[in-house]
Amino acid sequence: MRVETTRVATPVRLRHAVGFHSSTDDLVGQMVPLVTAALDRGEPVALAVGPTTERALHDALGGSAGLIGLSEPDTVTRGSGQTMAARRARELRELTAGAVPVTVVSEHNSRLDGFDGRYWTEWDAAVNVAMGELPVSLICFYPELPLHLEILDGARRNHPLVLAGGELRHNPEHRCPRDVLRSTPAAAPMLLGPPDRALTYTAWQLHEVRRAVEHLVTEAGSFEESRIEDIVLAVNEVATNAVEHGTSEAQIALWICEEGLVCEVHDGGDLTEPLPGLCAPHPSDPRGRGVWIARQLCDVLHVWRNADGTHVRMHAAS
Amino acid sequence: MTPGDHVCAFPVSDEQLWEISAEFVAAGLARNEQVYYFDDGTASSVLGRLADDRVPLAQPLRTGQLAIVPSDVTRQVFRTPVAAVQQMFAERIEASVAEGYAGLRITGQMSYGAARPVGIGLTEYDAGLDAVVRGRPAIALCLYDRRRYTDAQIEEMRDVHRDELSAPSAYDDGLLRITRTGLTTARMAGEVDHSNRPMITRLLETTLDDALRSHSASTDIELNLASLRFMDVAGAVSLVHAAEAFPSTHRLVLTGVRPRIVRVLDRCGAPFAAQLSVREFEPERDRLPLVITADTRDDVLVDAFGSTEPLREAR
Repeated sequence: MRVETTRVATPVRLRHAVGFHSSTDDLVGQMVPLVTAALDRGEPVALAVGPTTERALHDALGGSAGLIGLSEPDTVTRGSGQTMAARRARELRELTAGAVPVTVVSEHNSRLDGFDGRYWTEWDAAVNVAMGELPVSLICFYPELPLHLEILDGARRNHPLVLAGGELRHNPEHRCPRDVLRSTPAAAPMLLGPPDRALTYTAWQLHEVRRAVEHLVTEAGSFEESRIEDIVLAVNEVATNAVEHGTSEAQIALWICEEGLVCEVHDGGDLTEPLPGLCAPHPSDPRGRGVWIARQLCDVLHVWRNADGTHVRMHAAS
Repeated sequence: MTPGDHVCAFPVSDEQLWEISAEFVAAGLARNEQVYYFDDGTASSVLGRLADDRVPLAQPLRTGQLAIVPSDVTRQVFRTPVAAVQQMFAERIEASVAEGYAGLRITGQMSYGAARPVGIGLTEYDAGLDAVVRGRPAIALCLYDRRRYTDAQIEEMRDVHRDELSAPSAYDDGLLRITRTGLTTARMAGEVDHSNRPMITRLLETTLDDALRSHSASTDIELNLASLRFMDVAGAVSLVHAAEAFPSTHRLVLTGVRPRIVRVLDRCGAPFAAQLSVREFEPERDRLPLVITADTRDDVLVDAFGSTEPLREAR
């Protein structure tokens, strides 16, 4: 598996804006001038919109030249805004190749709302962290009246810029991701049944954690050797973090299911960084690289916190 | 060690057990001796270590110069009267010489005997073995590691052996073993994680220090990682950072690096560190085949120790 290295020096930063629309026509009407302006500047434009909007946009622009389609969240990623943000950041980092500015137009998708719409708050906050160093202009469109008020509330607090009357303006309601996540923390994922393997460990028993993962994944039979090694590495990094920065003792639970390995790590600590491993650590920084690499090796890496401590759910497909 | 020797060693960890066993086997193969390894669950790790050490194994396993005695046969030895075992070994030594070998080397995993399965203690077998080896072209290495033997057993065995193999100074925590193999060279075996990571920095600091103090020393600090099976991200980062902090005259050279360790190093910026050279483990042509079947052997050895069925899994 390819993992990006992190030595990029880009003075440009993310421009993260929000726009609100009342109907598909209104939405397309606001999108067209943004897309046209970017294309006129010779910049690539990437779309993360539903099929209806995409067709309407193509019609209005008279074709799809210069437009790039971005990946849709799959069923496994659904529910973890930070996982989707990390994945999108990876896509855009490749697209921008470190320097080429890209304009991204995205649209709210109610299928991802979950039960309270918190997904979007988490996603936008994670975007601010994960794409902060990318030369990307990301304009997120939300309906004026979504099903959950949280969606509007989160959108207003997460975007430093707001699109009004065709212009990007400073958003006085904008808050930094840490503040946003303090009032609206990332949600816990759906509960799973009893795990196939669970153990409590300390910093001196990490090899037992590795042995347990290796054993379970090897037994599952569907993983290649190098994939097993990568999964063991990813779990080791998250497990190490729990006992290094969290509490001296932590718990790990492992499940083997159709989609691969699911792993949860729980510690009683309080993470200073609400969404660890989302931005590339500086090459000279000895810390923070473990979770960054683990995020790239896993299909889902979801961190959430509650009164009990810090929790991580990981998902690694074969 | 010379013919007639009966030596014991007390490995502090599995890593050291593989290391000593592999060195003993390799030395015997190099001196045209026949080597009998009495397996009881440890042979695959010893063969793995021999492969890490680049000792050609396919040929000696095929010809029977290196014979792996299966576990059930090993255990049967400890249910046989001492005099009969002595007779078997004496005949085996004669047979080895008759087959054109310089002598016989014996080692293996004898922990089954420590439980006295038929009431005969290890010390009695040991005394019997000592009498057989003495004055014959044979060398026996008895290994009593701290994981499989109790402290009392180890003390008891230490008393009845003539010679004890002295181990080179090393760091060994049971998970990671570091040995200095020269002024500017060292070897790491096992696993590096959060519990022992600081040892890497310490090792590199002292090795670099020694290199800088000596005019004749190489400017390459070489770490053999052939037996390193796991390294976490922070461990890889510390190697990369250590190399970057070297004086511009010196380099850190990692040799025999396994693919999974190469991937971790790559993800931690190793390709960007000018003073770090990563040499991947390249399997040799004469490398041990992963599965040795009866077909890869010319003949299955049949002697007093039964038929030494070839090993199924080499690693």
